Amino acid sequence: MNPEFLLSAIIFAPSVGALILALLIDSKNTEAMRLFAFATTAVTFGLTLVLWLGEFHADAPGMQLEVVEPWIPTWNVYYRLGVDGISMPLVLLTSLISMLSMGASWSITKHVKGYMVLFLLLETGMMGVFLALDFFLFYVFWEVMLLPMYFLIGVWGGPRKEYAAIKFFLYTLAGSVLMLVAMLMFYFSSSSSGAQADGFNLIRLAEAATAGTLLSPEMQITAFIMLFIGFAIKLPAFPVHTWLPDAHVEAPTPISMILAGVLLKMGGYGIIRIAFPLCPYGAQYLAYTMVAIGVISIIYGAFAALAQTDFKRLVAYSSVSHMGYVLLGLAVWKINEQTGETMNSEYWQMGLNGAMFQMIAHGISSAGMFFMVGVIYDRVHHRDLNKFGGLMGKMPLYGGLSAGLFFAGLGLPGLCGFIGEVFVVLSTWSYNPALAIVAASGVILTAGYILWAMQRVYLGAEYKGPHPEDLTPMNIREQSIAVTLLALAIFLGVYPVIMFNDMTPSISRMAKAAEAGYQQSADQLNQDEMQAAQR
Amino acid sequence: MVGETLRNLLMIAWLLPLAGFAVEIFGGFWGSRKSRVAAWMSVGCIGIGFLCSLSALLIWGNSNSWTVLDHDSHDETHVDTDHAKPADALATDTHPSPDSHTSHPPVVRGKTVYSGTLYYLARFGSLDISLDYYIDSLTLVMFTMVTFIATCIHLFAMGYMSEELTEELVDHSAHLSNGHHVHRPGRYYRFFAFLSLFCFSMLGLVLAGNIFQVFIFWELVGICSFLLIGFYTERKSACNAANKAFIMNRVGDFGFLIGLMVLWTFFGTFRFGETVNDTGEVQAGLFQMLARDETGNVLRDAASGDVKIGAVTTGADPGGNRTIPYSLLVVAGLGVFAGCVGKSAQFPLQTWLPDAMEGPTPVSALVHSATMVAAGVYLVGRFYPMFVQEVLLTIAYVGCITLFMAATIAIVATDIKKVLAYSTISQLGYMMLGLGVFGWGAGLFHLITHAFFKSLMFLCSGSVIYGCHHEQEMPKMGGLWRKMPITAFTMLVGVIAISGLAIPGLIGLSSVFAFSGFFSKDAVVATSLAFVKDNPSHFLLFIVPLITAGITAFYMFRLWFYTFAGKPRDQHLYDHCHESPWIMTGPLLALSFFAAFCAIGGEDGPLYRLITGDQPAHIAHGIAAAAGSGEITLPGHDAIHDVHGTAGTLALIAAASGTCLAWLLYGTTLVNVAEIRRQLSGLHGFLVDKWHFDEMYDALFVKPAHVVGQGCAWIDKTVFDGIIHASAKIMIFVSKWDKLFDEAVVDGFVNLLGNSTFAFGRSLRVIQTGRLRQYVMFIVVGVVALFAILFTTFPG
Repeated sequence: MNPEFLLSAIIFAPSVGALILALLIDSKNTEAMRLFAFATTAVTFGLTLVLWLGEFHADAPGMQLEVVEPWIPTWNVYYRLGVDGISMPLVLLTSLISMLSMGASWSITKHVKGYMVLFLLLETGMMGVFLALDFFLFYVFWEVMLLPMYFLIGVWGGPRKEYAAIKFFLYTLAGSVLMLVAMLMFYFSSSSSGAQADGFNLIRLAEAATAGTLLSPEMQITAFIMLFIGFAIKLPAFPVHTWLPDAHVEAPTPISMILAGVLLKMGGYGIIRIAFPLCPYGAQYLAYTMVAIGVISIIYGAFAALAQTDFKRLVAYSSVSHMGYVLLGLAVWKINEQTGETMNSEYWQMGLNGAMFQMIAHGISSAGMFFMVGVIYDRVHHRDLNKFGGLMGKMPLYGGLSAGLFFAGLGLPGLCGFIGEVFVVLSTWSYNPALAIVAASGVILTAGYILWAMQRVYLGAEYKGPHPEDLTPMNIREQSIAVTLLALAIFLGVYPVIMFNDMTPSISRMAKAAEAGYQQSADQLNQDEMQAAQR
Repeated sequence: MVGETLRNLLMIAWLLPLAGFAVEIFGGFWGSRKSRVAAWMSVGCIGIGFLCSLSALLIWGNSNSWTVLDHDSHDETHVDTDHAKPADALATDTHPSPDSHTSHPPVVRGKTVYSGTLYYLARFGSLDISLDYYIDSLTLVMFTMVTFIATCIHLFAMGYMSEELTEELVDHSAHLSNGHHVHRPGRYYRFFAFLSLFCFSMLGLVLAGNIFQVFIFWELVGICSFLLIGFYTERKSACNAANKAFIMNRVGDFGFLIGLMVLWTFFGTFRFGETVNDTGEVQAGLFQMLARDETGNVLRDAASGDVKIGAVTTGADPGGNRTIPYSLLVVAGLGVFAGCVGKSAQFPLQTWLPDAMEGPTPVSALVHSATMVAAGVYLVGRFYPMFVQEVLLTIAYVGCITLFMAATIAIVATDIKKVLAYSTISQLGYMMLGLGVFGWGAGLFHLITHAFFKSLMFLCSGSVIYGCHHEQEMPKMGGLWRKMPITAFTMLVGVIAISGLAIPGLIGLSSVFAFSGFFSKDAVVATSLAFVKDNPSHFLLFIVPLITAGITAFYMFRLWFYTFAGKPRDQHLYDHCHESPWIMTGPLLALSFFAAFCAIGGEDGPLYRLITGDQPAHIAHGIAAAAGSGEITLPGHDAIHDVHGTAGTLALIAAASGTCLAWLLYGTTLVNVAEIRRQLSGLHGFLVDKWHFDEMYDALFVKPAHVVGQGCAWIDKTVFDGIIHASAKIMIFVSKWDKLFDEAVVDGFVNLLGNSTFAFGRSLRVIQTGRLRQYVMFIVVGVVALFAILFTTFPG
């Protein structure tokens, strides 16, 4: 296959599938629709595997397989795609989680055709976000993804679906409006310097920022704050996380898997792909704030999880806690205040790598946890933690697989959650010992809420809730989804270097560029001050 | 070559149980519940592991011609792997010099420490994190001990767990809400799968070549312990105990993590020893980086007082001038030790271990006495070169408090396993104390001997519990030696060993006849006496362990008399109890042999020599305090040797008096124990309530954590969502006014405009007559008027 075509194929294969599904398949034949939609996601997953194994070069730090076509030439908008070590793992994660959650979508029985079409459109949006290199295109995909999600929660959700869907939509929209303003700031700044042809080109913008010519330091701070709020909502970080528990609780199981497995990662991806490279000065200026927010999210999310009685809500709060590590790892960028040089650069890179790995790991473990909650919800139709118990005896395989996935969430060594968390925490001391200690104390709380939840659900003498007769063993479809996720959790936990090999070169390149960009802006500020002093 | 052979053998021993686990855990699917296949598989894996470990030990000894067993090799050997010559060349031509007694020439033993990298987890520039291996004499002794004891316990468990070999088992300790007992299928295979997983994790911990890897397996043994304590998942008490164990361990691990962060930030590596990376570059390990001067103190920068991080590597030295503040080195040491406190159930994290007795008894023997809980002690020993004086003193005091507190509780415990659990905590305290007062060899010596006699006693208690149909309360037993002679006899061996009783020989203590516990406890007490001699203000570090030696003998003999001697107190129980089958008593006999004789020769014997074969270089001569610094002085081997006789005699007297007291109270009917208990009811209650630690922690930590959790959830619901909802309401309110404004003002204006336009148009209708002449006239008038305006406005 033509490598340039491959990226577009990955993005639009689900859309083509959706079109065929909408036009050609009989709405009454639900099984055929499910199988076709699943096949579409499987083909997409296959394409991303081809990309990863066949075309992607792990040791090349820069953008690969770039595609540039004019889209709206009068506004300098291009259809510009590319992949590097930062987006590659996330693209793989997206296609994998989409396929698995499509496999989990057999439980959807209402308006199956509409669900499948929206699901596939959503996948196109997600892929587009991770592959777009044009800011405008990125923004369009960001919005494209929003609408299907709104309907998927709002139509197929639980009792309070409208509330949750609107909350999700408005939160994200608020963020994307801020992102839009920042985008225009970059555009007009580059057109005032005569480079308007590259006004939306993320690569060129980043290069300009590295050279210190994109935005002035003050403007960088403003732009960064706007971008950061937009991405922090998605992440989600304290205190803009409250859409997440509602959205998760009301969303159907497969949509929760997508939400936790992929959508949250867009926040982290946006920060590392757009906010840091385009506003290095702003990023460094706000590093302490970000680290603090990350640490608060870790602890706050864990405490809130401890108090939940709804199984799904507990897992949702665990996401808040786990994504705190992502923000923490990204932001442990320490500089020497006098010279503007970055101190302990390798530790920051370790934090960045840890954060990226944490995104992948969380994508697997939390999707797994939500799936496991869904399996039991499909059977007994409730999620009250105090009305479970004894499932280990009734459904041993389910209990064992769940235990494995929950241990992955707990950060047990040998499973994926450990590597990301511990790498981030290890890199934090060199930034700020006090915050590092607070972050590390999260290990106790995490163990507390996960083990307590497991005790109430899986252990104990008997099942205490309604419909005990419906506690049937998992079927083959459910088993294969759970086994796949657990196997991946183990594999990444034991051999994480397979992901780090892909990520490290690109991340180190990004970090070096950001360091240089910060240095430029800091020098610029120093010169201004000296001139002011001379006058 | 030797290194690779050792590595491969130990890796087989390490990984076989993992392979076993992967198969055995599915035993319920591929086999019948009545099948013993999983158990045999598990025994096979660990048995082969034992053979591999033993051969590794022999190969290692041969490679340095067993110089490790020679008398004088000890004080001169250095643990560092910086012997530049290749191992094989040295190993062949080194022989102990026969006249080493007089002249003390440096004994060249060749390479005895082997370290290397298995694979990398991640690399960031010059930083890398990998799985390594580190093989020295301590590793090999631990491997052999763990695999041997584990094999014995696996065999024992095959008998002990045999009631699980059924399709329907009635668990009399677990109740349904309707009051019935729980009926469930047997889970024989699952028990052995978990045991295999534990063996894998434990051996990984011992083989680990860096402190991060230790942390990985540290957590894995923790989760295995969780799974095994909670094996009877139907029992709420078992689940609670499992959670408690894991979470309290995590508290310790939180400290461990802080220690790791400090080490990682300042040293940039986690490796213990030197390793060669894949580009052929030699990388210094932590032990090489922290250099010590000839007095044993760490090298410090004269100006700042910071500790120098010297890299004695042959290659480029990236951190040649790096330093670490002394206080942070203390923090790192205390952090790592915090992990050990959790794992080894030391004060103040000791409360989980007694609860952990909810697990099946073989688990208590393997995990909670011989191996996992000793891992904390092992790590202190392994990480010894990184500990400075302040840390060692903390270790000593923590050990001292623990050993006394646990021993006092053991006096009043009536559950046979609980007595042993508190005894384990107390003995672990002895090990910590020994390590803390610079008895590196003594602490680890006690670790090995304790592993034998304590696992033996736990298995004996298991045999009693099995024979008495799951009765664990000693007040219901009594006189059991007639029914189960082998158990009673082997238990007595263990009790004598732990109490430290001995028959003094004719020529002083050097030819004393005693079981293993005497020698190792003697070594600990002697070290602490030497320590106290140099640092008189810390006199408690000697007095307390000495008194506790007496208490130990008292409560252990109390247990034995209570259980096996005297008259049966519960005739029904006595009538139905029986000796255990051979598969259980066989391991008892094997272990009792080692409990009795493994330490033969004391500190001149082969076991002690083997353990200390690769002891850290600065141990032998002690650490002298800098003059006038107020720091502590740590005793060297000579100082300890001088006080050995005194300490041994005192310890023996203490043990003998404890034994006599136990015999008086429980072996005879001369004294009314109940009367004493009534007299001292206040103290008795305090001890029975375990010094109230559980209540205190519940009030201080568990409840507040839940309250804070509720608080966070409340803030989310009311504050953050409140803000969102309020802004939504404001928005709706504004839009209502907006609607009103739209309707009244904007629409009003537009309507007004529309209406007036309409009215205007309507009025114009008058002139729209449809008559052509009239229109033409309008046009003419209009044109004329336009021209007139044009010409008047722009004249000329």
